[in-house]
Amino acid sequence: MLALNTLRGIRVVAAPHVLDATLWPTHVAALRIAPDDIFAIEATEADAAGVAAADPHSIIVDEHGFVGCWLDHQQLEHITRHIEWHAPLHRPALVQGYVAGVPAKIWLTNERSLLLCAGPYAADLMERVA
Amino acid sequence: MSNRRIVVDGQPVTYSDGDSVATAILRGGEHPKYGGTLCLGGDCPNCSADVDGVPYVRTCQTPATPGLVVRRHPSTGNPSFPNVVQADITKTPLSDAVGVTRTEVDVVVIGAGASGTAAAAEARSTGHGVLVLDARDGNEVVAIYGGPTVIVRQPTGMAHIHAHQVIVATGAAELQPVCPGNNLRGIITARAAEQLHASGVSLPDAVAVGYLPADVPCIAVAGQIVRIEGNEHGSVTAVVTVDTDGTQTTTACSTLIVGLGFAPRDLLARMSFGLPVTVVGPAAEKFALPPCPTAGTVCPCSGVEVEDLEGVWARGFHELELVKRASLCGTGTCQGSVCGPHLQAFVAERSGSTPELFTARPASRQITLAEAAADTFTDVFRYSPLHDEHLALGAQMDRFGGWWRPWNYGDHTVEYWAVREAVSLGDVSTLGKLVVTGPDAVEFLERLYPTTVADIKPGRSRYVLLLNERGHLIDDGMICRETETRFVLTFTSGGAANAEMWLRDWAETWAMHVHILDRTMSLAAINVTGPLADELLQRVGLAEPPKFLQHRHTEVAGIACHVMRLSFTGEASFELHHAADQSVELWRALMAAGRDLGIKPHGLQALFGLRLEKGHVIVGMDTELDSTPRRLDMDWAVKMDKPFFLGQSALARTATLPDHRRLFGFTMPGAAPIEGSPIWSAGNIVGHVASSFNSPLMGHAVMLGWLKHTPFPEQVQIDGRTASITDLPFYDSEGRRARA
Repeated sequence: MLALNTLRGIRVVAAPHVLDATLWPTHVAALRIAPDDIFAIEATEADAAGVAAADPHSIIVDEHGFVGCWLDHQQLEHITRHIEWHAPLHRPALVQGYVAGVPAKIWLTNERSLLLCAGPYAADLMERVA
Repeated sequence: MSNRRIVVDGQPVTYSDGDSVATAILRGGEHPKYGGTLCLGGDCPNCSADVDGVPYVRTCQTPATPGLVVRRHPSTGNPSFPNVVQADITKTPLSDAVGVTRTEVDVVVIGAGASGTAAAAEARSTGHGVLVLDARDGNEVVAIYGGPTVIVRQPTGMAHIHAHQVIVATGAAELQPVCPGNNLRGIITARAAEQLHASGVSLPDAVAVGYLPADVPCIAVAGQIVRIEGNEHGSVTAVVTVDTDGTQTTTACSTLIVGLGFAPRDLLARMSFGLPVTVVGPAAEKFALPPCPTAGTVCPCSGVEVEDLEGVWARGFHELELVKRASLCGTGTCQGSVCGPHLQAFVAERSGSTPELFTARPASRQITLAEAAADTFTDVFRYSPLHDEHLALGAQMDRFGGWWRPWNYGDHTVEYWAVREAVSLGDVSTLGKLVVTGPDAVEFLERLYPTTVADIKPGRSRYVLLLNERGHLIDDGMICRETETRFVLTFTSGGAANAEMWLRDWAETWAMHVHILDRTMSLAAINVTGPLADELLQRVGLAEPPKFLQHRHTEVAGIACHVMRLSFTGEASFELHHAADQSVELWRALMAAGRDLGIKPHGLQALFGLRLEKGHVIVGMDTELDSTPRRLDMDWAVKMDKPFFLGQSALARTATLPDHRRLFGFTMPGAAPIEGSPIWSAGNIVGHVASSFNSPLMGHAVMLGWLKHTPFPEQVQIDGRTASITDLPFYDSEGRRARA
């Protein structure tokens, strides 16, 4: 059974070119959810100071609505049995879609992968991919 | 002979290694289905039985395993439905029962016989990746869908194989005789005879008609079969044949082996028209049709006799498809594998041309519902971060607006009074919550909403309707202005996702410089409501709770909250929006602080009644797809003198037209009728009840209901009683309690 834990960080919504130009600390996993939307795991508002300066109307808020867990290759293989779409070959990559019928995302890196979903879906996701 | 046994109709039956269930039954001297020709190739329904509770299993394709429980289907009629274990389908994905593996490959070859092997070798020689599937290896292909996607039943579950090319090399099936007596026990095809003989199954007094089985001791009889004779036990006793000069011969036998010819085994090919599917080998051959049947059972699946076909033909059904539909010949579980050639021959003789066989449909083999549903899931219903708190408090949970929500905590009346007379908590985490910022934010929202937005001051909020271009209500909620260019919008629980898309689409359409962030699932929200709500909040650190329709960011019980003062219940209400992962902490702090104030949580059942007393509508429950503000008596929420808003022109066009629909408030002595009850006037149904509630405070029923015929009556009949149209709201018409 996977244990999904709250992923803390910040959510940044800003002009896409501003997000394109933003550099994040190495410990931060910056997940580009949409062209104008990033979930930066383990980032703080200070890390997005450049965004706020470049786009004064950006939305920068603490994000605590996602849960997730890191997967090794074997666990990832197990998870991919529950998806009907193709994961890209390049890394890193963020893929978004249904996992076992639950809206979820997978952050793929060469070393490991992060399975995450919105908190209200956590119970179903855990049950279905157990 | 091993000492392993299966159980057939309650009796142990010994089987040998390698036996199928059908072979084991035949070895025991019985017939898997009491009678009918056996092919043992999976083509016909004559060996199907209930195996371990699953009906219609082809026992010739099912390996015998120790303890397998077989129940033969009744000799006439259908087997009874299997026992269904009642399950909570909301909690148990169907896919739990059967797993799915997914594979991608260049070429799938179905069938590992000579033609399949050759086709696979050829595909490999051109550098393609090839996967060969054969039922004898445990890969039973049951369907080919678009893609193409090949659905395979395997011993461990289902496989969905995505291929660029599919080659069907499934060979040919043997023809079965159609003549009087073809339902008797003891008739087998030549191939079946070879299999049984090789397995050591006795074939007593065997007589063969047509081509002969290899190495099977039998007497060959020339000619065509006229009829098969049997005894009172339903067993074959003789076969009557006719030779070319018309001489009939009766040959006594206990086993009749028929070698009558072949038909393409093309079920999979017939379900894949238009797909990149190639049929090779005998499966693609045009075999000679059998003689036109004149008597006997044509379709063993549906029990269709030749005389049934003749009756259908006489009624004017002269195409193969029509004969099939009118007679049900070919609609059974083998989808024409047995009857197809005979049906073609029947139509060909009468019409003068040979028709194509009909399209086959997935699945080509009987599969269970669990196998069909493998890897499909029930819809997801979201869980509030307070879900476990609700359960601990005894909540009855129900699904509403895409979420699991507490319906009540045991007694909704107790919850109702807590709101009206003390203080209560409601979990409103499910509400839609969007942030909109940007230099165009005001202009954007002005266009989006029919209310005036520019005059909402920072720190203030306003109730708003969301209309579509036709002026129909699609959602409602609050606008909270935080700064000149930043707003928080709330939406209904069920409407939040659509609202977000609605906003994004229009922002794009109007090229608005705004940013939008959906925080619905990041933020939880607790509604603190009741005349003592203010006192409770002061106890947990909110010294000056905001006034009515004000909001601000502050701490409550040490937790950062966005506090919004509004009212849906009719009492003073404060929505505390906060980080989802702190919700349990906040809930417990509030419950603890309010213990001596009589605090109780309330569920939707109480909430629906409380808001109904205030006349507040619930979008989707009280509204219809074409409900305009006028029909809802909510024109007050629309500023027609604005320069523009979505739906404005439609409302302007229809404003002067007569309208025959209106949502009214009704009151009635006695118990509330069920929602949806018809509303009667002068003997006619003139509308229906949208919401109803037994008001504990007023002691009678209060309702919202639609009247759809003018002139609108002042009194109507609902549930056999007289109800009166009553001005809204039913409770606290001055709104003093909400503003208190």
